[in-house]
Amino acid sequence: MGISGSFAADGETKTKSVPAQIEFRNVTKMYGQIAAVRELSLVVHRGEFVTVLGPSGSGKTTTLMLLAGFEAPNSGEIFIGGNSVAAVPSYRRDQGIVFQSYALFPHLTVRRNLEFPLEMRGMKANERAARVEQILRRVHLSDYGDRMPFQLSGGQQQRVALARGLIADPPILLLDEPLGALDRNLREQMQGEIKGLHKEFGTTTVCVTHDQEEALTLSDRIVVMRGGMIEQTDTPEALYDRPATKFVANFLGEANILDETNFPLEANGQPPEGTVAMIRPERVRLLGRAIPARVDAVQRQTVKVVVEEMIYAGPLRKYRVRIGNQVLVLREHVAAGQETFERGDEVHLDWLHSDMRYVRV
Amino acid sequence: MLIIRRLTQQPIVLALPALLILAAVFGAPIVQLFFKSFNLPSFSLVNYQAFFFQPANVRVLYQTVEMSLTATGICLLLGYPTAYLISTARTSVRVVLIVLVVIPYLTSSLARTYAWIVILGDHGLINNFLIDNGFISDPLPLIYNRFAVYLGMVYIMLPVMILPMVSVMVGIDRSLMAAAQSMGASSFTSFWRVFFPLSLPGVRSGCLLVFVLCLGFYITPAALGGLRDTMLSNFIYAEVSTSFNIPRVAASAFILLAVAFAMLWIVGLDLSGSHGLPGQSPKDERGRAAALIGRLLRSLSEYLISHRSKRWKSRRFRPERSGRMPEVAGAMFLASMISFLVIPGIIIVVMSFSDANYFQFPPAALSLRWYYQFFGDPSWDGALLASFQIGVAVTAIATVAGTLAAYGLARAHSTVRAAITMFMLMPITLPAIVVGIATYLGLLNFGLLGSKLGIILAHSIGGVAYAMVIVSATLANFDRRLERAAMSMMAGPFRTFRRISLPLILPGVLGGAVFAFIHSFDEVVITSLVSGLSIRTLPLKMWENIRHQIDPTVAAASSLLIVLAMIWLVAIYAAWWRTTSRTQRIAAEAQN
Repeated sequence: MGISGSFAADGETKTKSVPAQIEFRNVTKMYGQIAAVRELSLVVHRGEFVTVLGPSGSGKTTTLMLLAGFEAPNSGEIFIGGNSVAAVPSYRRDQGIVFQSYALFPHLTVRRNLEFPLEMRGMKANERAARVEQILRRVHLSDYGDRMPFQLSGGQQQRVALARGLIADPPILLLDEPLGALDRNLREQMQGEIKGLHKEFGTTTVCVTHDQEEALTLSDRIVVMRGGMIEQTDTPEALYDRPATKFVANFLGEANILDETNFPLEANGQPPEGTVAMIRPERVRLLGRAIPARVDAVQRQTVKVVVEEMIYAGPLRKYRVRIGNQVLVLREHVAAGQETFERGDEVHLDWLHSDMRYVRV
Repeated sequence: MLIIRRLTQQPIVLALPALLILAAVFGAPIVQLFFKSFNLPSFSLVNYQAFFFQPANVRVLYQTVEMSLTATGICLLLGYPTAYLISTARTSVRVVLIVLVVIPYLTSSLARTYAWIVILGDHGLINNFLIDNGFISDPLPLIYNRFAVYLGMVYIMLPVMILPMVSVMVGIDRSLMAAAQSMGASSFTSFWRVFFPLSLPGVRSGCLLVFVLCLGFYITPAALGGLRDTMLSNFIYAEVSTSFNIPRVAASAFILLAVAFAMLWIVGLDLSGSHGLPGQSPKDERGRAAALIGRLLRSLSEYLISHRSKRWKSRRFRPERSGRMPEVAGAMFLASMISFLVIPGIIIVVMSFSDANYFQFPPAALSLRWYYQFFGDPSWDGALLASFQIGVAVTAIATVAGTLAAYGLARAHSTVRAAITMFMLMPITLPAIVVGIATYLGLLNFGLLGSKLGIILAHSIGGVAYAMVIVSATLANFDRRLERAAMSMMAGPFRTFRRISLPLILPGVLGGAVFAFIHSFDEVVITSLVSGLSIRTLPLKMWENIRHQIDPTVAAASSLLIVLAMIWLVAIYAAWWRTTSRTQRIAAEAQN
């Protein structure tokens, strides 16, 4: 049984809260003349983990601030669990937030930090203590309750921040660049931790990040933002494999935009108006001079190119190849007996037509 | 030989010049005073008994503590919200506000006390205005009472209270309050539970500074208070000037010191400046007392918990209309506090251009006659010149000795450093009258009373303390690897210091020099004890003029001192912020 279950047993103080649905309805937020968020409409379903992804200045942080109640929209409405929260101050929204800098209270012990949201909700001291012990166990920090935040490592602080966000079992949880301050190894470990906690608590979670890997691993759905507007919303797989626009294709992973002048694309039919062809580096195979006869040749595209550069990257080899006036980036896993190529080699690219996408410019 | 070489290689040797001056002028005599207060070698408590058997003395002692505590309390009540509002203002506004607080801070306290005589006096601004307009026929008793003393003390001490609090508050991460609110804490709760505890180090340093300085107040009670508002400094000063009975005076001085130390112990001052971290395990009684208060507050808040629970449930997702009232009230409060700090100075400057022989505001006609008077009268000129000569000499000694000491102490063992720092700061942390009496005795030993050199030495000990504190603060951010790098490139210790360390800590050295000069240029209490009436510095001349004949020449002198404070501010700005921002910029570029 998860801790949420045993918390519900306390009954009196607080019944287990149900994850809430979040809805943005035509929300606009202006800073002076500039719209940080423009006509944003979005529904985050109960228990869903949605990541808002975008470069800096895309409006993703403003979106989170609006949801948290630290900023008020100029127009439009936000609903949390069916309540319009336009004029509801942050401290009356039942929410958990994990801040980018963690915002652990430096003058309070880990235990008092964790107790804070419970105390604000009027939970009695003995219940608070039990609850804190439970969650400390859950994030593997049982022995650290009496430490001060500055006595913890970055990863431990992150776990306290997560625990503090979840301890009051809020219907929604907001994560602001939650793993930004951690090094690579720790980040992977914490991704697993966040996923596990989300599964266990089932809290509706909105995460804001510029880190595409974080977004791809954690989310049920990803919202890609650009210039204050939503560019595309979909599951991680769909976004990666079927990006709707060139921006999304480039922002999530690497993308090769194929210039029509260099490729005989008509074989696949005329590209739709206002689109370009795109293919992911790992969907392309490199072949030596000999092109084997293939049964599925009709579904394939083959082009002759020149290798400009080979970059050795452990299990991967990255190639930069030139065709006409264009340079493509390709990636191949090193496998036994596989041919490798050097600068200046003439090679053939080979891919399935179905792996190529037309994306809006 | 080896021992001597080892010894000279100890960094602490660099602190020797400063320590020697301090020991000779202040350290040895204060020990001497301590012995004399007990009539050693034949031990007796007669001097202390003499003090305590006089009910009048005990009343003065009680009054001194009472007035200091009250003034500190008022400063805290007014200063905390002011500091809070300053720290929350937009950066550009904040800079202006801080400047408006710093200018009075750098202005001579004599000039600032004089402003209140001009405003409150029987023929001062307020009474003249009221009489001229027929509201009253006889002047209101605004001056020479407790109220006037409090007004003057608070006016002088408010910047001392505000500045340390602002520096702490600016450093508090605002996202912590946002975090608290996201967890259900109202604006007030997030302030009280998060911001306030984090601002306490600033409150503590502000209160300590103000309280200890108040204990040593001499000018303000003498100038603005009546006979019943005597403080211990005035009492000791009177004792000194009527009968120089050193054992008696020494006993009074140590009683004042004991009060100061008792208060410091209660609030827990570590004079070396290393504050304990909040939440550290309580080690001594004081820590236990703090923990007890903490537990008490927590159990009180536990009483409210069921109320919180109800409120949380009823207000969850309830909208709230936020008005602009708090903002307006805050702005008005801040404006009135800043006016309180700035307007007396403006009045003095305007008055100094008056044509009249008496206080008239606004002046009927403008003239420069008081400035002609100031620069034309040899006694004013001489005082100004003497002050400048002494100030320059003090600045030179203090800057060199203070910088060397700070440099040496930064490399010394931390316990040694703490002890020496505490000793070296005594001239500016102990009540001025105590330092004055010790210095008097020290100069008497060397036969330097009433000489310029004597005054220079007397001022130097305070100047060294200022220079050392400020250079130490700069050294704290100084990366010692730079020195190692220089040494690895074959630069010897001296060249390393001259070419690498000194340019990098130069802003601190210049800031220290400015403060050392200000200290010397404004000093009244110590100077009047050791000058022996033969040398008159500008503050002494002003003080004499304020006490005996109130004519607006003092206003001209005070205005010049206010302008001087602004010049100092610009100098400090140029030395400090510009250089640091340049080095920071370079450092930032180097990192990219």
